[in-house]
Amino acid sequence: MTRLFGIMVLTTFFTCMPVLADTPEFTLTIKDHLFYPSELRVPANQKVRLLIINEDPTPEEFESYELNREKVILGGRRTVIFVGPLRTGEYSFFGEFNMSTAQGILIAE
Amino acid sequence: MTKTTSSIGQNIRLTLLLSCLCQHAFADGSNIGKVYDPYVNQLEKEFEYRTLYEDGIGLQETSLHSYRFGYGQAISDNMAAEIYLLGEHESGSPISVDGYEAEIKWQITQQGEYSNDWGALFEIEREEGGIWEAKSSLIALHEWPNWIATGNLSLIYEWGDSVKDEWETAFSGQLRYRYKQSFEPAIEVYQAQNIQGIGPVLTGLLRIGQINKLNWEAGAIVGLKSDTPDLTIKINLEYEFY
Repeated sequence: MTRLFGIMVLTTFFTCMPVLADTPEFTLTIKDHLFYPSELRVPANQKVRLLIINEDPTPEEFESYELNREKVILGGRRTVIFVGPLRTGEYSFFGEFNMSTAQGILIAE
Repeated sequence: MTKTTSSIGQNIRLTLLLSCLCQHAFADGSNIGKVYDPYVNQLEKEFEYRTLYEDGIGLQETSLHSYRFGYGQAISDNMAAEIYLLGEHESGSPISVDGYEAEIKWQITQQGEYSNDWGALFEIEREEGGIWEAKSSLIALHEWPNWIATGNLSLIYEWGDSVKDEWETAFSGQLRYRYKQSFEPAIEVYQAQNIQGIGPVLTGLLRIGQINKLNWEAGAIVGLKSDTPDLTIKINLEYEFY
């Protein structure tokens, strides 16, 4: 049992080692239930860090099945979402609480 | 190239860990049911219903229906709590509520931040006959473009008037193909002292209105050991709302 949990701890340590030193950051802003920019270009085949700033007083949920991400950002708050490495292509995302207006596309190139 | 090699190395380490733990998992209760992901979504609430139909348990010519009804909600951006009522219905017997459970899920790392996502689950359960079970689980998830592998490794302590006090371990894992949001096929494996099972699972998400969702999951787990039910049919429904 001791050996088992020794393996667990070691493996957790090694697999959690940061690989983020060169992770580029891009900013998405939510304002008036819209994403700015609504079209965001990011490098393909590389992990990227999306800083999402919600300037609205109400919460919004960033959601994308294509990116496999779903995260609530409270009103007036910011959060970080890591995506990728992405293959070249377009990945749609939307704000689930205001789906009719909050729409965007991430373009990996 | 260096990052690719590093990522492959980390994937190999995770695979070796899960394989190793799978071989060493010991628990005499069934862990067939649900493979947890490590994520918590702030503000989210849910009602959950799970049912298991176990047929051919060991040498007994009997079947068992077990039920679980729960309510859960996020309590912060990385913690969620859920409580359950547990029930059973053996063939020829009436349905009974015979236990309850509380659980806390902790999302340890941001999704996609590291090569694997990590979480932890802490559960305490009281069953009929004054049997208590405390369970801590490590949740690991690895994501490829179209595939997701999830493993839950649990350390369990069981005590009570009618059971021997003992430590146990269990493992459950799922490999899922992201075909489309409403339909994702998967395969699940379960390992515990008297349990060894594998089988196909179908899962998906349906939108109800603008922001409410129904997560559904149905599967058939075939027992690979004589003490494991020959067949376990599982159905899980989660209604998520804000």
